[in-house]
Amino acid sequence: MKVTVRLYGTWRQRFPGYEPSEGIEVEVPEGATVRDLVTLLEIPEPRQVVVIAGGRVLKAEDKMQRQVPVDVMQTIGGG
Amino acid sequence: MKFVRVNMTGGTVDVDGVPQDYAGLGGRGLTSALINAEVPPTCDPLGPENKLVFAPGFMSGTPLPNTSRISLGAKSPLTGGIKESNVGGTVATALGRLGITAIIVEGQAPQGSLYFLRIDETGNVSLIPAQEYEGKRTYELVDKLLEVYGQKTSVLCIGPAGEHRLALASVQSSDADGRPCRAAGRGGLGAVMGAKGLKALIVDQRGRSADPIADPEAFREAVKAVVKMVQADHMSAEVMPKLGTAALVAPVNAMGAFPCYNARQGTLDGWERISGEAMAEMIQERGGNPTHMGCSQCMIHCSNEFVDVDGRFVTGSLEYETIWAMGGMTGIVDLDTIARLDRLCDDIGVDTMSTGVGIAVAMDAGYKEFGDAAAALEMVEELAQGTEFGRLLGSGPDAVGKHFGHDRVPTVKGQSIAAYDPRAMLGHGVTYATSPMGADHTAGNLVGAYLTHMLDPLNPEGQVATSAFLQVAMAAYDTMGQCFMANVALLSPESFAVMSKLIEAKSGAQLEADEFPHALGRRVLKAEREFNRKAGFTEEDDRLPRFFYSEPLPPHNTVFSIADEELDGVFDF
Ligand code: SF4
Repeated sequence: MKVTVRLYGTWRQRFPGYEPSEGIEVEVPEGATVRDLVTLLEIPEPRQVVVIAGGRVLKAEDKMQRQVPVDVMQTIGGG
Repeated sequence: MKFVRVNMTGGTVDVDGVPQDYAGLGGRGLTSALINAEVPPTCDPLGPENKLVFAPGFMSGTPLPNTSRISLGAKSPLTGGIKESNVGGTVATALGRLGITAIIVEGQAPQGSLYFLRIDETGNVSLIPAQEYEGKRTYELVDKLLEVYGQKTSVLCIGPAGEHRLALASVQSSDADGRPCRAAGRGGLGAVMGAKGLKALIVDQRGRSADPIADPEAFREAVKAVVKMVQADHMSAEVMPKLGTAALVAPVNAMGAFPCYNARQGTLDGWERISGEAMAEMIQERGGNPTHMGCSQCMIHCSNEFVDVDGRFVTGSLEYETIWAMGGMTGIVDLDTIARLDRLCDDIGVDTMSTGVGIAVAMDAGYKEFGDAAAALEMVEELAQGTEFGRLLGSGPDAVGKHFGHDRVPTVKGQSIAAYDPRAMLGHGVTYATSPMGADHTAGNLVGAYLTHMLDPLNPEGQVATSAFLQVAMAAYDTMGQCFMANVALLSPESFAVMSKLIEAKSGAQLEADEFPHALGRRVLKAEREFNRKAGFTEEDDRLPRFFYSEPLPPHNTVFSIADEELDGVFDF
């Protein structure tokens, strides 16, 4: 299935030509987890990735849902 | 190690050693202990009995990076309780290099007179009449002062708001480029400075009489370890230099916890236009600087230089909290307007956060429409003019609410909340309610715990314990003079051990195992709470405004649900 991924923080810089208004479409297997998505995106610091969907921070083992876009962000401790 | 006591009533200055009671303290630990010991808790914050204390952190002036914070302490005219507000820039390092532990400003200058307090490179302290600078805004003032005293000068000053003694008045600090764009914003300490008759503190940066470090070799080793830890921290090494604190707009909004339209919603329509990503891109395109070193000794560079469409400097470090208060709360989704509002606030000398929230309360009450940029700019300008509305806004969001008969006022102890709604981030509600400072975002910020799954922001479990831990740790770090960005990279037991080594190496004293941050942080909080109790605060003051308990916040539609008894147990240690 296809999942729409929106990138934030400095992740965008790793995807040349990234269009914020569109995000990117990623093909993931049925039942894929957040961990699988992060692996597919090839972000070298997976522990710094925060994936948010529907207002909730997802856990690594949470499954990706059809038609639910996800926001891929970074850990921040405040400011 | 010197205490500089300045009596504004008689115009006298005394320089003395540091009393034993304050040994090993700096920053917030020192200001809070001194205010608690010397200021009558029920005094008039704008009267001669209040004292204004300036204390660089215990580590300021040493080679430890990011130790550029100076704490200002007094009884607050905004909260009526004890206040510590710290600020970066260059002055903490300058005072550290002069071996000055604290400056204590007492009494009150005769009505209508105004002074500078100047410390030269040899540590000589003098009061200089400054009548001709009356009413000057901070940018013009600092320009003049650097012209007169040279570029290697640090300035802490007030603008017209401080002279008008407004409860939202800030003390502005000159940054690494000599611009007064950094603020000790919270709690109205600019009004205390104005009431004393002090327009500016002017410090030469070329001092060479820093306190000696007892064990320089051990200190150097520990500094190396800290540098390594900060470099290994993703937020400090990657996110802050590129986006600054504005990077928080996206995740907090995505979590439905970005309070907007005076905290009626947890997500903002059009938030992408005021996000950290949008800001960094805009600054870059216009030829500004998204990665700026705001303070001396900084290895993170979270600051930025925001420029207009023609590439002209507008304001320095446009920060998350300002973007939220001036943009999210007011519904003004335009970075150029927010930047102008920020510049105006710095120039007039007021806290951007409580000012933005006051404007939002007025808008919510129907005085102006949400999103009305021209109205917001005019309201802030009125703070400088001292008009009737300016005085109302300058008295704080509670006064604005009262004036309009509007009870949706997001404050605790009179001070506005920050950019995390306590209904969607319960732990922030715990910190807002119980911090002796009033609602505060640096006193114990849990957003990192939520983003890393340590805690679920909507589940009451663990919120009190985490807020308490962070409040203690931050009270200890605020004593060291380290900036918040470095602090959040240093919250592990290993970092605490290295900090203990640094303290031992600097002071030559042996610390108890539990001293940093736990025992130290607790002592600081205890002193602050003791002062507040004597000033008349009770448990009822450690509560959020009613609407946070009764009005669900979209999109999660949750309310603040931590029981009163739990709030009362936060400081059971
Ligand atoms: S990280 Fe930011 S606040 Fe901290 S010292 Fe550097 S510029 Fe100042």
